[in-house]
Amino acid sequence: MRPLFSVLALAAALAVPAATATNAPANAYCYIGWPADGAVLPAGKPFRVWFGLRNMGVAPKGVAFENTGHHHLLIDTELPPAGQVIPSDRKHLHYGAGETETMLELPPGTHTLQLLLGDENHIPHTPPVASKRITITVR
Amino acid sequence: MRHILVAAVLLAATLQAGAQPSPAPAPASTNAQVYFIWPHDGSVINGGKFWVRMGLRNMGVAPKGTAVPNTGHHHLLIDTGLPSMTAPIPNDRNHLHFGAGETEARIELPPGTHTLQLLLGDKDHVPHKPPVVSKPITITVR
Repeated sequence: MRPLFSVLALAAALAVPAATATNAPANAYCYIGWPADGAVLPAGKPFRVWFGLRNMGVAPKGVAFENTGHHHLLIDTELPPAGQVIPSDRKHLHYGAGETETMLELPPGTHTLQLLLGDENHIPHTPPVASKRITITVR
Repeated sequence: MRHILVAAVLLAATLQAGAQPSPAPAPASTNAQVYFIWPHDGSVINGGKFWVRMGLRNMGVAPKGTAVPNTGHHHLLIDTGLPSMTAPIPNDRNHLHFGAGETEARIELPPGTHTLQLLLGDKDHVPHKPPVVSKPITITVR
């Protein structure tokens, strides 16, 4: 019976989210496939955002699979600190179900969009896998 | 304590059994749609090397073996018809598997006309019910 306890303790230990970031391949490349940088989009009409990822795969949150992560879309904000859980709010949208595109509607004005991959615990990889930050205009 | 332990072990055993390949295909949402972002139907590709960008709406991507509802992984069918909808998708030169959750792939094809089609597979590589399959497209390599 005692070994069983150890097994359960081990299982409990494995279930605790790791605080360390997951490694990403050096050639991982994340990009916004649509819209293009500088695009002007009509106000009041949702538009599609394509999440591009090369040399890595997509996995939902909580899934531990080598060389994978899930997309986060940063709107009108800087990259969050490395090594910490990506915030979840209106400026940091999480796609933890493995989505590879989304529909977005933004108010008129100039906006920035950037993708940031998070690991199973929503922590950016080492090195971080982020797209170029693009600027779009809604009017 | 003994009861809790037994229950925990039984639960673990049940979960283990659940991990075995199941013959029943995973359900897919009826509005799920898989499609080619690139190339377009009718594209002419010089040189034969190109990126295939795999698009998926109203579902998510998950690597093989991952049991998360409403997810699957991409398979690229090259110059072939649809396989059985109730068996694992074959794994050969005409049926490329993207079991690591890839959403794009670098492909090289010989000169000529080729058909491409995307088919989503569940954690066991079996098409969903209903199947999530793209329109077949035709490209020309020269």
